[in-house]
Amino acid sequence: MKDSLVLLGRVPAHPDSRCWFLAWNPAGTLLASCGGDRRVRIWGAEGDNWVCKSILSEGHQRTVRKVAWSPCGNYLASASFDATTCIWKKNKDDFECVTTLEGHENEVKSVAWAPSGNLLATCSRDKSVWVWEVDEEDEYECVSVLNSHTQDVKHVVWHPSQELLASASYDDTVKLYREEEDDWVCYATLEGHESTVWSLAFDPSGQRLASCSDDRTVRIWRQYLSGNEQGVACSGSDPSWKCVCTLSGFHSRTIYDVAWCQLTGALATACGDDAIRVFEEDPSSDPQQPTFSLTAHLPQAHSQDVNCVAWNPKVPGLLVSCSDDGEVAFWKYQRPEGL
Amino acid sequence: MAGSPDMFDAIVMADERFRGEGFAEGFAEGSGLGLRQGRRLGAARGARVAAEVGCYRGFAVAWRCLLRGGASEKDRKKVKALEALLAMIQRFPYDDAAYGELLRDLDGIRGKFRQLCSLLHVRPDLRIPAEAAGLSF
Repeated sequence: MKDSLVLLGRVPAHPDSRCWFLAWNPAGTLLASCGGDRRVRIWGAEGDNWVCKSILSEGHQRTVRKVAWSPCGNYLASASFDATTCIWKKNKDDFECVTTLEGHENEVKSVAWAPSGNLLATCSRDKSVWVWEVDEEDEYECVSVLNSHTQDVKHVVWHPSQELLASASYDDTVKLYREEEDDWVCYATLEGHESTVWSLAFDPSGQRLASCSDDRTVRIWRQYLSGNEQGVACSGSDPSWKCVCTLSGFHSRTIYDVAWCQLTGALATACGDDAIRVFEEDPSSDPQQPTFSLTAHLPQAHSQDVNCVAWNPKVPGLLVSCSDDGEVAFWKYQRPEGL
Repeated sequence: MAGSPDMFDAIVMADERFRGEGFAEGFAEGSGLGLRQGRRLGAARGARVAAEVGCYRGFAVAWRCLLRGGASEKDRKKVKALEALLAMIQRFPYDDAAYGELLRDLDGIRGKFRQLCSLLHVRPDLRIPAEAAGLSF
């Protein structure tokens, strides 16, 4: 298990600051990092090294908490504690801030593009989730403000193929939203975590959702459509979500991020105990009650809290992580033999 | 001497009787006081909610007038959102205090208002100073 995660390289991405989040562009060629130094940096490979290609410094007054690439790869959205979200357009050599989205009352915690690229979601400490529509002229219009959470909303993520949105919150719940008659509605609340839910990740099919929490567990939720064979109750025609697996006992601190590889199905976690872990589903386990095995555990992946893990969308097994120590690390994950 | 057992009875039971009477009196007094307090609090909170919703309604009606005649796609979208807000306010129950979804509906109205502020490019800080009108939403 020891050799299943090999360090490829390490860069001081946000020196003297925290590195909060990482995002690969859809082509897997560029990596965006953001941090407490109010900057976004874009990294690209040159030979075996990862070098900084651009620095996006004029845009935010405070910490940049999260970044997200548009599905076309030409735009980058950055969410900041200064209550705004910037949209950056990728030109030939640099990035230009084309729009600043205002509206949240305070810290914007996360941003995510829908798979179509026509919708953007943001969430904030002001407890709300906003859905924005992008028109042909690159103008953004707010189509809905969702006040379903009772506390700080930490993360938003879109379903990989449908216009379905999920959010995680300090109120210990996950909520799911869909469009209904020109507005968005919360149609499901996933309860089970005993503390803050920090992050979410859909599996490649979109049928399952992984959530990670301050309660040191990862939960796997499975979607059941109405009229399902398993007899899971649904209200009306909306699918219902049920927790089918809880990964507990593996992590000794808060789990800040979870990433589900869209190519291999491996599940990586970023933890407050400075470690990175990778889990794989046992192929013979019952889909209704799947079991996962720990296939990689790197105790001192970073010198401080690991904030984020992200799988490259094109290169199987290429994992990146970032930490409070300001560094970004690149890893090669190899599934152990015999699995 | 038919009355004497009763007399003793009255003395022996006095403690319990007075206690019972005291409880009944106190309970009635407390209930009345609680009811009056609750009514006052309910009226104050209700007024606050009504003032807030009323403010949104005034905002929506004013903007609908301002946008009247606007034919662009953008204006149409704004008017549609304004109509949606007005419809939500129309549906909001003012006379049913026991309505269980009151807070959820109020959050819906607040969300729609904030969406409109974003669409109309106005800042949603039209707070009425608390000391001026006793409103603090």
